[in-house]
Amino acid sequence: MRNRKTSISARRSVPRIRVADPARQGRWLTALTMAVVAAVLALGGLGARAQGAAVPTAEPPAEAAATDTRGIDEETQQLKKDAIDLNRELFMLEEELLFPANTQVAVFVSMDVGEFFALDSVQMKVDDREVANYLYTEREAEALLKGGVHRVYLGNLKVGEHELVAIFTGKGPNQRDYRRGATMKFVKAVGAKYLELKITDRQRRAQPEFEIKDWE
Amino acid sequence: MSLSPVRRVPAFVPLVLALSATVAAGPLAAAPASPDKLPVTRIRDLSYGDALFYFHQGESFESLTRLAAYSQWGRVPNHEAEAQLLLGGLYLELGLHNEAGERFEKLLTAEVPLAVRNRAWFYLAKVWYVRGYDDRAEQAVRKLAGVLPAELESERMHLLSNVLMRQGRFAEAADLLDGWQGPQDWAAFARFNLGAALIRDNQLDVAARYLNAVGALESEDPELLALRDRANLTLGLAYLQASEAASAKPVLQRVRLDGSYANRALLGAGWAEAELGDYRAALTPWLELKDRSLLDAAVQESFLAVPYAFAKLEAPAQAAEYYESAMQSFTAERERIAQSIERIRNGGLLDGILAREATGGSYGWFWQLKDLPEAPESRYLYTVLAGHDFQEGLKNYRDIVYLETTLDRWSGDFDAYRSMIDTREKAFAARLPRTDALLEQGGVESLGRRRDALESRLNGVEADRDVAALGTTEQREQWARIQRAEQALEAEPAGEDTDALRKRLRLVKGALSWRLAENYRASMFGQRRALREVDGLMRETQDRWERLGRARASAPANTGEFGQRLDASRERLTAMQARLAAAKLRQNQYLAQIAIDELNLQKERLDAYQVQARFALAAIYDRAAAPAPKPAPQFPGPEAPDVDGQRANGGRP
Amino acid sequence: MALACLALYAIVSAPGDARAAEPSLVGAPAPDFVLRSAAGSNLRLSEQRGDVVVLSFWSSRCNVCRAQLAELDRLYATYRPAGFVVLGVNVDDDVTAAREFAAGQKLQFPLLFDPTKAVARAYRVDALPMLVAVDRFGAVRFLSRNDKPGAAAEYVPALRALIDE
Repeated sequence: MRNRKTSISARRSVPRIRVADPARQGRWLTALTMAVVAAVLALGGLGARAQGAAVPTAEPPAEAAATDTRGIDEETQQLKKDAIDLNRELFMLEEELLFPANTQVAVFVSMDVGEFFALDSVQMKVDDREVANYLYTEREAEALLKGGVHRVYLGNLKVGEHELVAIFTGKGPNQRDYRRGATMKFVKAVGAKYLELKITDRQRRAQPEFEIKDWE
Repeated sequence: MSLSPVRRVPAFVPLVLALSATVAAGPLAAAPASPDKLPVTRIRDLSYGDALFYFHQGESFESLTRLAAYSQWGRVPNHEAEAQLLLGGLYLELGLHNEAGERFEKLLTAEVPLAVRNRAWFYLAKVWYVRGYDDRAEQAVRKLAGVLPAELESERMHLLSNVLMRQGRFAEAADLLDGWQGPQDWAAFARFNLGAALIRDNQLDVAARYLNAVGALESEDPELLALRDRANLTLGLAYLQASEAASAKPVLQRVRLDGSYANRALLGAGWAEAELGDYRAALTPWLELKDRSLLDAAVQESFLAVPYAFAKLEAPAQAAEYYESAMQSFTAERERIAQSIERIRNGGLLDGILAREATGGSYGWFWQLKDLPEAPESRYLYTVLAGHDFQEGLKNYRDIVYLETTLDRWSGDFDAYRSMIDTREKAFAARLPRTDALLEQGGVESLGRRRDALESRLNGVEADRDVAALGTTEQREQWARIQRAEQALEAEPAGEDTDALRKRLRLVKGALSWRLAENYRASMFGQRRALREVDGLMRETQDRWERLGRARASAPANTGEFGQRLDASRERLTAMQARLAAAKLRQNQYLAQIAIDELNLQKERLDAYQVQARFALAAIYDRAAAPAPKPAPQFPGPEAPDVDGQRANGGRP
Repeated sequence: MALACLALYAIVSAPGDARAAEPSLVGAPAPDFVLRSAAGSNLRLSEQRGDVVVLSFWSSRCNVCRAQLAELDRLYATYRPAGFVVLGVNVDDDVTAAREFAAGQKLQFPLLFDPTKAVARAYRVDALPMLVAVDRFGAVRFLSRNDKPGAAAEYVPALRALIDE
């Protein structure tokens, strides 16, 4: 039995392609069994979701035969990194260009509710002009509930006093509709101005209200 | 025609036996899904919350871009440590280990809260493990002080056991697993990995302990059930390989008939019976297997195993029939595979598969291909497409495409930005001379000097109690005239007229004095207030002055520098797009090559089986043509070398 | 229906619209949007990335639109498991008319309301019904303005190709 297997493997291992996954241990596997191995692995792989650390994707540098794949993989990684960096540079450039710090005003929406509340929309007016009318999808509302903060408005305002009026709508527990508003006068000085629209039911549970916080 | 093979016929290798070794070999078993949650923090910087907003929606790329930008702008001062942690996690998810590692390493100082530091060590351990630095990974895992949240704790144990196993330290890994108290799902995977590793290490008995533990577990979870099947299959095949067919039988029978491992288990069960000499019993699982899809390698083997058993059972006619039908099926399959290879070479299949994603809206490194398209080729490529190489390559491909589309968005905007900058440049150019002239005059400064002078005069008046100074113009003139008259009168000699004049003058002066004194306080108050108002005006003016100065100073930055940055970015973007396109092409070819190689293997396997079938068939016809009393078992079988000795009496009904 | 189309055209196009000079929608990323749905939730196009998405612009006064919506409903039922989503985008000024129509039709896929026609403008809808096919990566692959019966024969194969991808 063993003889045959070895002879087969001796015959078959040669044409095994260099694109073999270096992480697979035992490159002496026969070609005949490769497919099945892959099947077994595949099924193991299909069962996994966040494999994370469980699956090594890069062989220790000692494995010489891996150069081909690692060449491509590393190059891809470098490429990804460069593209990500470029994307960040563009993001920063855009914001600095369109909303320079001196005139920048940013308004954020955050949620801090104990009972379930499905946020539907937020509308905002600054100095009586509508500047934001955002519809929230379920996914976005979830993200707010998990602690995310949404930058709903980014704009430019002159130095001086301005008025912000904000309204939110949504559904609370028992499908009850909510519509609440808040208003605040704020002073835009030199330097970026941040305002936070907080949807919170801290005052009365299950009664979400709007608070506007001025981050000096 | 007598059969005398010119060369050694490739023996009919029960796939299964080789399988047993290889099932154990290979990447470690997967682990259960475990979504990682960050520790909940109170948001103290709104921008950090913004990055979280995208993170919680699974938009890792967007979250990373923003958080990195905000960090660079210094907008997350209160979340330095958490931001580094999140950034690291996002880089890790996007497949950039080095970047991730850098971020985590920054968090290893004492100022960082313990919870964050622990997580940093944990992720670092993951990163190092993935990159193959086992000892560092182990150190990192052991550096964790205290206990992580439950799910991470399980993962840590799993990671540590993987690291130990990869270093061949099975005994330690075993100890770790034996002492494990936490949730059992990770432990099950770790036990499987250990069992598989021990098999590779030729420690079948010890391996059996762990694999049996997994092989007997009860669960409703489909992942765990699949793992159980896999453990039983692995153990059973290992027993077969070690010629312990009797032990293999019950283990293989534990594998579910409708699971993904069923086919190989059926094949193995058959070989176990065959090894024990009971070919009739072997036929049961093999015939069952033969009816299943020919795509599966185990099924292909059964096509040959069945007639082999019949031959052993002295039923050559049936054996021949089965061999012939096997050959036909193999030929047909082989043809289909060849066509698929052609199609792939022409780029058809892969483009289809590569474009088809089942993502649920997110993209990242841990994504796995779940469903396969309906194209004819995909049947053959199940194993390949789900294989590790392909998966990794596919992830990279997907990442590239995503980056491409994201960057494409920007190029549309460049023109708009350009024109904005040009407009700004013009606006600035128009205003600069005026601004410079104004700034030159130093208006604010001179205003300030004047204000200061006024104040000191007031102070002087107050100190001297110079009531006259605060009078109206008229009053001051009167006062001046009075004083001049006084002086004039001084010079005159005393006389009746001068006396009367002096008296009158004294009266007038007195009246004026009195009036001045009466108004003094109010006047002083008024003057001070006026001075304060002047100060207010001055402040505003000062502000505007400074703003103007700043704008003027930053004019080159606002326009020229921006223009430069924009142009530079545009160039980089174009270059990046070219690189991405090239990478995409390369990745496509790489993936195609994997697929083609795999298909070639399958083709070769079928060829090999074809040859075996042909020879076996020829042998049967040979015997039929020249009946010999003693059935010389010439036809290939797994025990061919010692077939005369030990197995000859097997299988006789 | 012609009137509705003309009215829509008037609303959607602006004077001096140099549409011929604009870059083509096909091949470019599909403009993202979020709209209210008849079911009450809000739906964002970019969250459907990974599925093939068909946008069908319709109005309650457009009879041919009904036929297209019905046809798409059948396709939706068939291909949904393979990752296929249909979004019916209504451009009526009056949302109530659209809701009534929607209630009557019993369509399985989400119906979205675009009363301001911002989305219609973004997609340069100039006639109804109009169909936009978006692939799994979020790029517009083809448009169909065919309002004749039997138009389905034209776009269904193309859709299947996208789904198979």
